[in-house]
Amino acid sequence: MTVPLSKLSKAGPLFLGLLAFLPRAALAQTEPPAAPDAPAAAPPPEVAAPPTPPVATSAPPAPSEPTGAVPSAPPEPREAPTRAPDALPPTGFSFGSYGRLVLATDARGRAGRDADIVAHGSRLDESSYVELELRRDDAWQRTGASTRVVATLALAAPYFHEDGQFDVNMAVRNLYLETEGLLSKKLALWVGSRMYRGDDVYLLDFWPMDNLNTLGAGARVRATESLTFAAHGGLNAPETPFYQQDVLRSAPLDQFGGVPVEILGRQRFIGSLKGTYLHRLGEKAGLKASAYLEMHRLPEGQREGDPGQFETLPADGGFVVGAQGGLFSGERDTHVNLFFRYATGLAAYGETASPGQLTLDKTTDGAHELTLALGANWETGPLGLLAGAYVRSFRDASPDLNYEDVDELMVAVRPHLFFGESGGIAVEGSYQLAQRGVQAVVGEETNLGTPTGPLTGSLVRFGLVPFLSPAGRGDYSRPQLRLIYTITVRDEGARALYPKDDVFGLRDTEHFLGVGAEWWFDSSSYGG
Amino acid sequence: MSSKVLHAFALGLALSSTVGCMEFDEGLEGEIALATHVDDWRDEVIYQLLVDRFANGDAGNDHRVDLSAMGKYHGGDWRGVEEQLPYLDALGVTTLWISPVVKNVDEDAGFDGYHGYWAQDLTAPNPHFGDLAALRRMVNAAHARGMKVIVDIVTNHLGQLFYYDINMNGQPDERVFGDGTGGKSEVGHVNEYDPDFDPRGIQAYTSLGESGPAPVVFVYEPASNHVPPEPALFQRAEVFNRKGRTYNFDDPDQLVHGDFPGGLKDVNTARCDVKQTMVDVYARWVELTDIDGFRIDTVKHVEREFWRYFTQKLRQRLAAKGKRNFFLFGESFDGNDELCGKFTKNDAPLDEEQACVLDGVPVTGDQLDSVFYFPQHFQAIRDIFVDAKGTKPVEALWSARTTTWGTTPAEGGVGVPPSDIPVNFLDNHDVPRFLWSGRNHVGDPQKGLELALLFQFTEQGIPCVYYGTEQGFSGGNDPGNREDLWGSSYATDGRFFRHMARLAAIRKAYPAIRRGQQKVVWATDHVADEEDANIFAYERAGGDAGDGYALVVINASPTHESRTSFEGANMLVGAAAGTTLVDVLAGGTATVGTDGSTVIALPPQSAVILVPQGQLVAGL
Repeated sequence: MTVPLSKLSKAGPLFLGLLAFLPRAALAQTEPPAAPDAPAAAPPPEVAAPPTPPVATSAPPAPSEPTGAVPSAPPEPREAPTRAPDALPPTGFSFGSYGRLVLATDARGRAGRDADIVAHGSRLDESSYVELELRRDDAWQRTGASTRVVATLALAAPYFHEDGQFDVNMAVRNLYLETEGLLSKKLALWVGSRMYRGDDVYLLDFWPMDNLNTLGAGARVRATESLTFAAHGGLNAPETPFYQQDVLRSAPLDQFGGVPVEILGRQRFIGSLKGTYLHRLGEKAGLKASAYLEMHRLPEGQREGDPGQFETLPADGGFVVGAQGGLFSGERDTHVNLFFRYATGLAAYGETASPGQLTLDKTTDGAHELTLALGANWETGPLGLLAGAYVRSFRDASPDLNYEDVDELMVAVRPHLFFGESGGIAVEGSYQLAQRGVQAVVGEETNLGTPTGPLTGSLVRFGLVPFLSPAGRGDYSRPQLRLIYTITVRDEGARALYPKDDVFGLRDTEHFLGVGAEWWFDSSSYGG
Repeated sequence: MSSKVLHAFALGLALSSTVGCMEFDEGLEGEIALATHVDDWRDEVIYQLLVDRFANGDAGNDHRVDLSAMGKYHGGDWRGVEEQLPYLDALGVTTLWISPVVKNVDEDAGFDGYHGYWAQDLTAPNPHFGDLAALRRMVNAAHARGMKVIVDIVTNHLGQLFYYDINMNGQPDERVFGDGTGGKSEVGHVNEYDPDFDPRGIQAYTSLGESGPAPVVFVYEPASNHVPPEPALFQRAEVFNRKGRTYNFDDPDQLVHGDFPGGLKDVNTARCDVKQTMVDVYARWVELTDIDGFRIDTVKHVEREFWRYFTQKLRQRLAAKGKRNFFLFGESFDGNDELCGKFTKNDAPLDEEQACVLDGVPVTGDQLDSVFYFPQHFQAIRDIFVDAKGTKPVEALWSARTTTWGTTPAEGGVGVPPSDIPVNFLDNHDVPRFLWSGRNHVGDPQKGLELALLFQFTEQGIPCVYYGTEQGFSGGNDPGNREDLWGSSYATDGRFFRHMARLAAIRKAYPAIRRGQQKVVWATDHVADEEDANIFAYERAGGDAGDGYALVVINASPTHESRTSFEGANMLVGAAAGTTLVDVLAGGTATVGTDGSTVIALPPQSAVILVPQGQLVAGL
């Protein structure tokens, strides 16, 4: 049986969160886990901002993060030998995608540009990003197990038709094999490279509690109908001097020239453990609670300074503790999620970041990050209301305050008014506040004025988004075609975050006027 | 309610349950109250340190650090200084003189601006050393210990921020000439950043000849912080003298108007707008940090009219905000005592100098409170303690101060005549360390250093010790003399540390040594096996020392036991006849004879500090 796309598309954010509870077979069968209109779940795709560490406001948007969407019917398998009996999941290739394309102007002759000053701002002015996901599902008669291979290519803007460059910013975001039901019907195992994450705050394109890009292996156990555990371990070695150093050495055996030798090659281990409890409240509604632990370990290593002079880089590490609680009505994606995350040491910088602000002994001791976040959606009749907010405090390992130290606050609400099933209009209001650990003489022609303490910048944004929704009404209903207009008003503190001659440092007001499209369908779950 | 309050409220509300609002340790909002932290500068012991080399307290600002090269940034910072204040306390230091704090050109010709003398922005702190909060916190921590802080400043020049486009091709060229053979000219080169001085101003020329003043091109290379200077006044070419590199320091025009070697662009300090701006930017640093004095670089390269304006307007502005007794001493790197001293003299200003006055208070003749005593560095520290020459010239040098230096305190200054408060040093960041210079001494160089320190701590004026001396550092010429102090592990049990700490304690205990007038009671030209070879003796008494009295006798001979007598003439001292004098170092005694004489015999490279028995302070 296949489920009408229109129904699936309505399944929103919370739905993906619930996917973790569902056996893989259920997903593969494309049967909705509950009534079509039921559990709202995991929020859709994300974009932009780098994982955890502080984000330079002038930095270009980081590669976006994909989102699993609701799976639609996979194609019928074409080869009999691997075809499972009807009782088993269907097999074959399927394609999924998340995408966001934006064409915008700043109404002053330049392209529309993301004006956020916090790490996870409003997504209305995010740049284009797309994920192309190819999957292969198989069901194995001898073992009763099913497998899935997932390969996701992500492409970030700019694209050829915009800049005329015949190239692409591309990354492999998923490349893994997962099997379910092999040793136990309750067990899923996976190996590979993947986005590994939980629930997000859609409005902010933000996964507040758990969000890893990992190369590793993991297991998920559905202990009971209500309780699931997921564990994973991964390794990485970012290509930065904190992890790696290659130096040239004379070629051995009296050969010509030099050959690179890896002097420093530290591999970082990241382990995570997550438990999720789902409790039904009546037929459709429920609550969800998760607890999360993450551990980072980095062995000591050596770097070469002057030729032949080696220094030891001490071992390092960090931890994350997180928690999430949520309620969902089971009706039209209505839900609210609260997130907590506290990270220390190496973990406070994110899994692929290279800490730049260390202690004197070159460790991340003392670094920490605290995040509290909220994501919510409410829909009734022709109305919908999305909300997202977070507050975050990050301190690097350096004892003094500096630019990398940041406190920030972001609040956004986006009411929708639907005109029937085909479209509607959304407005969004948001407020961003960022405080950096630097002083500045804000508003003065020169530095000769009196410093004002930690630099504080803020902006207010109002957005108007008329949209068409081929899949029907719903805050999370995609695909969506839309017009976007936002006006952003920044204060002098926000302007001070930009370098000299950057128009964002010169202008109080920013416009973003454009057209866009967003879709997600048949993307895989994150597995976290 | 201001937007700032709203912001603080919003973030505070959000974070209050966990981490609280971001806040600098030393709150940076609004002006701070200035205070006078020093009573009498003669009581101080100054410790000169290069921030980049003293202590690294925060790896977060270790940008471009390269410990393998002495000419690169090494990572020291203001937090490091703050953390090592107990070390300095144990050493007996009472005042820190820290290297310049302003933002510098980061790198030039393969060298870094770690020393701080390549200013690019006079209004911003050098981020390699921390931020304003770190600087302020360090100053506050020093004040909490009773220490004072002097900041090094430069008004003569800025960093290498522009080049002279001599051939007008829009790029900084280097021209190599000469082949060095057959009697032809030596191989040399002219760099458009640093061409030789031309009294007309650097001229452009083409293959057809000269073509008028060479255009000045400000460089724009943000990666190395070669960007137009701040404040904006210094982005105007006419603010600089633009005459090229000084190569003859005896030429007054070159001395004052030439670029400092290395392409450091000479500012036209005779301009009113430059004078006013220099007061503004440097007074601001005091107002932001409550520091206690300035050591001023390259004063002999700047017009005296500038010093009159700068020192007076600075004192007046600071006094109005509660900062008095602000110490201003300059560096005149020269053995010519008359040249050095003239920056402390009270000479009548020229009438036209009043044209720069904005506040209606006329400029008078006051200048600096003191200068770095370079003439003594050459004639005493080098000649006596390194080269074992006669001590007679030092007597002459000292006595000349009453004519070569100012003899009346500057109004609003430190309250002591400049001639009574020279800043005495053995070595510094511009000259080889004592132990380097003395490495070939026929005696024991280490004893020589101890002796020179004793001289420095007991003579009239303020002792100023270069960092690392207490650890026996022995680096040669710049940058070899700029070692990382952390290499010493900040040990406090070494020979020189203990010696210096003891000298500081003695100085603190005896007012005569700090504030007494000075009289040479024995000096000699003898340096061989004469009875008094290399003897030097002086008394400290009178003045503001009450009835305190001290007699210092030094035998600088590396090989010869000498005494304070020659051919029957004995040393006559000011202590009363019959007074028993006790050596505060070793406890020996001497009695003043009925004729007021006393003979002190000393082994080679030794000294005594004698005080009346009744004034002896125990436990030192």
